[in-house]
Amino acid sequence: MKQNKLHTPEGVRDLLPEECAVKLEVQKRIETVFHRYGFYTVETPTFEYYEVFANEWGSIQPKYMYKFFDREGSILTLRADMTPPIARMAAATYTQKQMPLRLCYFGNTFRYNEKYQGKLREFTQAGVELIGVNSNDADAEVIALAVNSLLIAGITEFQIDIGQVDFFIGIIEEAGLTDQEGELLQELIDNKDYIGLEEAVEEMDIDGTLKELILDLPKLFGSMEVLQKARAKTENHKAINALEKLQNVYEILCAYGVEKYISFDLGMVTRLNYYTGIIFRGYTYGTGVSIVDGGRYDGLLGEFGQKQPAVGFAIMLNELIGAMERQQIPILSWSVDTLLVFTKNSLKQALSCGDILRSEGMYVENSLLGEDLNLNISYAEEKGIGGIVFFEDQERVKLINTVTRETIETTVNELLKQASKEDEPCGI
Amino acid sequence: MRYLTFALAKGRLAEQTMELFESAGYPCEQMKEKSRKLIFVNEDLKLKFFLAKASDVPTYVEYGAADIGVVGKDTILEERRNLYEVLNLGFGSCRMAVAGPIDSKEKLNKSCNLRVATKYPNIASDYFYHKKKQTVEIIKLNGSVELAPIVGLSEVIVDIVETGSTLKENGLVVLEEICPISARMVVNRVSMKMQYERITKLIEAVKEKLG
Repeated sequence: MKQNKLHTPEGVRDLLPEECAVKLEVQKRIETVFHRYGFYTVETPTFEYYEVFANEWGSIQPKYMYKFFDREGSILTLRADMTPPIARMAAATYTQKQMPLRLCYFGNTFRYNEKYQGKLREFTQAGVELIGVNSNDADAEVIALAVNSLLIAGITEFQIDIGQVDFFIGIIEEAGLTDQEGELLQELIDNKDYIGLEEAVEEMDIDGTLKELILDLPKLFGSMEVLQKARAKTENHKAINALEKLQNVYEILCAYGVEKYISFDLGMVTRLNYYTGIIFRGYTYGTGVSIVDGGRYDGLLGEFGQKQPAVGFAIMLNELIGAMERQQIPILSWSVDTLLVFTKNSLKQALSCGDILRSEGMYVENSLLGEDLNLNISYAEEKGIGGIVFFEDQERVKLINTVTRETIETTVNELLKQASKEDEPCGI
Repeated sequence: MRYLTFALAKGRLAEQTMELFESAGYPCEQMKEKSRKLIFVNEDLKLKFFLAKASDVPTYVEYGAADIGVVGKDTILEERRNLYEVLNLGFGSCRMAVAGPIDSKEKLNKSCNLRVATKYPNIASDYFYHKKKQTVEIIKLNGSVELAPIVGLSEVIVDIVETGSTLKENGLVVLEEICPISARMVVNRVSMKMQYERITKLIEAVKEKLG
């Protein structure tokens, strides 16, 4: 038990300064794009009533939620997913007149993932919800936003796969299958289990072309052509409608100029009771799971008292950053560039100069190690601080480049004059 | 070009897989040499192979440490990983079955205190709880499962049966069949999308050799 004091529990972790700076930098880049598209950031509580997350459409199974009681006996749940709380908030707060609503969020979610699987139990999601409109334009806007968010984050090799749940639902309807049979097929198609699917379909009473189409479903992914391929094999109204919508969304995405990152997967059939239209996922190299999950969920807000269509996505920030590291994409963020060293006499000059340098955009650390210059130089080297400004007395200032050891002698007045002229006044 | 990485279940399965891959145009000469290497590379085609314990193959593939894996259906069912299962390679064929002494047959159908010993607790609970709708007690063992009914640890076992000769020698028989088993090719969900053309080409080439 003593050991518990030293370690974090499985699935949660500390973020050290460098990691935290990288995460915040990526988050900042993404947030800028969200804002530029008119999405306002919101926050929801870290824990909520269990009922917000547990519904029949259940996006997360109850066994994966962290649950506890409050003093009145209500069950509370650590935020297991970002979307239901935002749907709750939007349904309770806004009226029809205020639609469409564009909201975005950055927050941690908590899931009781299996032990020893190397999966985080607390992880950060960055996402958007576009509420109040069901149209191809809305779907395309959100997908284009996902693409632009990934691009601004810094990755270039990725792919957004788009599917449409109505296509599968239409096919199942046409085949006249029971819910149970539909569920079985859904699972097999989702796993691209060609073999299992063939065995299952053989046992069901399905006619020729439809059978062929269902068997083909797990293979119906790739470029635009899959839509035509699928179109040729069905006469079901719902399915055709779904294909036309996909086609139209793709045309809008071309207008956004992001078609290079788009592909299709008609066999993407997960969480059918949650998603009600378009569904998409983002993939990149260096991670075995998707980095973006999104889709249309027109039924969710109704659960919270106001029927409104909605579409959105979440970027799995930890997965994205992990993938960027493995792809060796540098993420430059800020670091301390200047160490301020001073004597008792020059304290006043040093502190006021420090503030001026900060206001000029520099990252300045006040030395707490005293006047010993060598001590300060080795500290700066250890911490990777490139420059030292040493206030020898009230007049004389030494600028030391800790990498080249180049030293420039100057005065307080000179220094201030330079600072007001350039962004990096010391030339260090 | 990126490497395409394969995780193969150690042993006979890996040998058969490499024979098949070679005939389909995906050879790896390094694997034929005797060495202590852990990773075998075909530089021309940018392929990497490694051998792993069968039950770890789905894990390597799920996390994307390997793009493609070859492993028995028994392991796939037991490990329940999030993968694409794309091809039945046909070899390594056997059955998952419930076995025990012949007089356990009666108990199997009514006893609610049935004890089941197995290396495959997930498959066993799936079969008894969901398919047979029967509550049983599952005991996880790590090997020589046939021992369990003989020494009275359990009434029946759930295990893979190839010819049935091991069972017979120990006075056990197959009581119920659960499902057929054979080697499968599995693919990581992201790799399937990001390396779509290469992987599809590989699947088609292997499929053609299988006839």
